[in-house]
Amino acid sequence: MVTITCPICGKRSQKEFRYGNEDVGPMPDETDLTPEKYLEYLYSNGNHTGIQKEWWCHVKGCGTWFIIERDTRTNLQVSSGDVK
Amino acid sequence: MAIKLKRMWPEYNLNSSYDAVIIGGGIHGCATAYYLAKDQGMKNIAVIEKNCIGYGGSGRNTAIVRANQRTQSNLRLHKEGIELWPQLTCELDFNLMFNQSGHLSLAHSEATIGAFRINVSSAQLSGVDCKFIDAEECRELVPALSLSRDITHPVCGGIYSPPGGVLRHDAVIWGLARGASSHGVHIHQGVEVTGIDVVDHKIQGVTTSKGKIKTPKVIVAGGAYSVQLAEMIGIKLPIHPLTIQAMVTQPLKPFLNLALSSGAYDIYITQTLKGEIATGAHMDEAPNFTSSVTSICLKHQAQMLTELLPCMKGARFMRIWGGLADMAPDMAPIIFGNDEIEGFFFNGAWGYYGFKSGPIVGKYMAQFVATDVTPHHLEQFTNKRFARFRYTGERAVPAQIGPWN
Repeated sequence: MVTITCPICGKRSQKEFRYGNEDVGPMPDETDLTPEKYLEYLYSNGNHTGIQKEWWCHVKGCGTWFIIERDTRTNLQVSSGDVK
Repeated sequence: MAIKLKRMWPEYNLNSSYDAVIIGGGIHGCATAYYLAKDQGMKNIAVIEKNCIGYGGSGRNTAIVRANQRTQSNLRLHKEGIELWPQLTCELDFNLMFNQSGHLSLAHSEATIGAFRINVSSAQLSGVDCKFIDAEECRELVPALSLSRDITHPVCGGIYSPPGGVLRHDAVIWGLARGASSHGVHIHQGVEVTGIDVVDHKIQGVTTSKGKIKTPKVIVAGGAYSVQLAEMIGIKLPIHPLTIQAMVTQPLKPFLNLALSSGAYDIYITQTLKGEIATGAHMDEAPNFTSSVTSICLKHQAQMLTELLPCMKGARFMRIWGGLADMAPDMAPIIFGNDEIEGFFFNGAWGYYGFKSGPIVGKYMAQFVATDVTPHHLEQFTNKRFARFRYTGERAVPAQIGPWN
């Protein structure tokens, strides 16, 4: 992916951003939390062929965290970012 | 008079059943097939490949082999792996172009020097020839190296491992496929696995685009696509497929006779036997399945190359390509089998270090598949290590902070 559209700064080079993993919701509840469940939440994501919702942070810019949708088959952003 | 071309391995129709099916025709898949047929006597097996043999990472890497990892479990494997290449060249009767020229990994800071001391100690403990050398000695090994303090990351020293070297990646994968086929393995190209059939936690067979196959054992060695294959039977794995790029320059007169790599610059450089400088290492951070190349990477590589080897200024890049590196969180592979699902074996998460370990892991995977018992060499790489917090310590950390093994 060459550019990402930050909701505040607009379209910028991908080099200014940091990938923050797929959007898999909040951390699992602590009751009945096994290491396996926690690690599944932490690591077993981001491996789908298709459109994926994920977090990005504009580290070399405004510093916002936002979600975009990206198609992993073309590596291009398919929707504009929303400030979260 | 027309030249009669002989196929390297014959084409067969898909049998309705096999003793084992290997999904993925890359170096790991073909090596496993080769050793299953040769060492373990399991000849009624098939390799199912979606595209063609070596289409994935096996045909796209820069073919550097080395045994200078940080952890005992990796060193054990890679040391045997390096010793296997001359033997394999003879067995396969194929010129793998193994050039054991040595491997030099550069250090650019005090922290790296600390981390490298662990590398050297581990390597020496495992019997691998690996030593720490200073900047001047680095320049003796690579006369073209710049020791200027004005570059982004000045060279402080490095670890030199003479057993390292380079090969021709195409030769290895074709040689292994031909070798496997000569022992009776069926290689099916252009066939895609669309489902894996499990009943009562036991493998029954696979469904492919050309029909169903009954088999008691399935080995997944599909590179970046392995995760989705494992997901077909509900196994979730912590692997991300990241695009990694590599490129070659025009052929140049020989001036670099070992494999050079630098962590700080994120680059590895070798000069092929044809004279081209093969380089790469830039990896995307976001998972994707494109293996597309970017001009940012090209510019970055040119910048880093000319800083480290100033004589490269003016040379032209000829070709750039990308491939998929399936990365696990601790920079080590994930290998397990006969766990929750009987007959299911997984060999993946090899990231950008899969080529060097292909044949040796193929040998031990073959042992694993034939005997159903995990060989000692592959024990550390079980998927369960994450939940047990026994990560493989391949990520370099400063010497005073552990754990690293």
